[in-house]
Amino acid sequence: MATKAIESVIAPPTPYYVGDGFRVHHFIPGHPFPTMQRTDPFIMLDYNALQHLEPSETPRGVGAHPHKGFETVTIAYKGSVAHQDSHGGGGVIHEGDVQWMTAGSGLLHKEFHEKEFSRQGGDFQMVQLWVNLPAEGKKAQPKYQAIKGTQMGRHTLVNNAGTVEVIAGNYQGTQGPAETFTPVHLYNVRLNAGGSAAFSFPKNYTTALLIIEGEIKVNGQQSVPESHFVMMNDAGEDFRIEASNDALVLVMSGEPINEPIAAHGPFVMNTRDELIQAFEDFNLGKFGYLE
Amino acid sequence: METFRFTTFLTSNLEIDEEEIDLLMKNCTQKTISAGDFLLRQGGYCRHTFFVEKGLLRKYGVEDAKGKEAVIQFAPEKWFVTDRDSSFFQQPSQFFIQAMEDSTVLMLDDDIIEQLNQKVKGFVAFNERLLHNHIRQQTKRIYELLSASAEERYLSFIATYPDLLWRVPQWMIASYLGITPESLSRIRKELARRNSPQKDL
Repeated sequence: MATKAIESVIAPPTPYYVGDGFRVHHFIPGHPFPTMQRTDPFIMLDYNALQHLEPSETPRGVGAHPHKGFETVTIAYKGSVAHQDSHGGGGVIHEGDVQWMTAGSGLLHKEFHEKEFSRQGGDFQMVQLWVNLPAEGKKAQPKYQAIKGTQMGRHTLVNNAGTVEVIAGNYQGTQGPAETFTPVHLYNVRLNAGGSAAFSFPKNYTTALLIIEGEIKVNGQQSVPESHFVMMNDAGEDFRIEASNDALVLVMSGEPINEPIAAHGPFVMNTRDELIQAFEDFNLGKFGYLE
Repeated sequence: METFRFTTFLTSNLEIDEEEIDLLMKNCTQKTISAGDFLLRQGGYCRHTFFVEKGLLRKYGVEDAKGKEAVIQFAPEKWFVTDRDSSFFQQPSQFFIQAMEDSTVLMLDDDIIEQLNQKVKGFVAFNERLLHNHIRQQTKRIYELLSASAEERYLSFIATYPDLLWRVPQWMIASYLGITPESLSRIRKELARRNSPQKDL
């Protein structure tokens, strides 16, 4: 098996606010790189780097907005987020948990800092990743998978190197709980200083890393600092990361869907006609209603 | 949102070659503005017509007494916005033109229009057509505000601006429609009740 090398390391772009609650670095799609075609099946990645929030009686966040044609994966590293949707769903994504939401045929939802967390204030750190759906999946009924930190697959690395928490897919036989439409591996890799972990994915899979905490070295060569995004190239399968200090790395790898992408805002379809239909359906209330 | 270049707008509507475009573009100013920034303020003079290449602008007025805003127009990508009363008749403007999103606009002044008039075949007729279309839209809007139901006005809004409902706060859309935010909520809820596959609304 050949080594998979780094294609590019992307520094965190200037953050901006999504609604009034989420201060994010927008890595995917990047300008000019990487495009969502390059990162297929991952079509959007926002990272709210560690931030201290002052107490607020009025929870901040994003009001009712639509999604159609993909899945949103929200990973709460610090703080908690309450959500509600037009299909009667709702709940809280607590610190350490993941919410895997299939927008599929379309829904409205809103996300705010959880009331008590907002009232007390505190550290907030979160990732939202959008995973594209194949054409059939874009017609699927919306649904949620609420994944508690304790439900994730847990692989203990040798030599006290750390642990790999498997959210989706599998790592060396340890399975993650998330059901996906196409093959996706998603891990939180927690490494102790000096610890290392090896990975092997098919060479055609889109593979990338986001350094949540600490600093790592990839394949024993290039150092990557905190809050940086690493795009791995398509040649080779195997790579290794080593923690320079205690580190937390989000590792994602997925089989490209290789279907045309017609995207505009929160709608990701295959053709322009489908996109226009999606606007119309949303405008006419076919996704339901949410205050 | 996708960028739509003014040059693309010209080449898709007029017989114009690259040399002519290059010459024109040299005299055009492209401006990048942040969400919340103003291109025109009430009492100021409007010197340009703005073509939105990326982002979203809104034109609105403010009632002195209550500070209530009245949205006249939204201008997303491919739209023009200006205050003709100020730009053509040199009057202090009654309106604000503000960016709702980080935006890129092309600022067209009288000189550019004059150059287009003189140098580009068919531009006079095309510009006249744009003006007639503008008048037609304004007339339609006045008629709707006077006679159409609130739901009909909402349906007209989404036909005119198919991709704005998730980009603009509801109260601004309500202002554009001349209704209260509560009425807009009721209309959207009623449409969802009629059109959504869910029956528990």
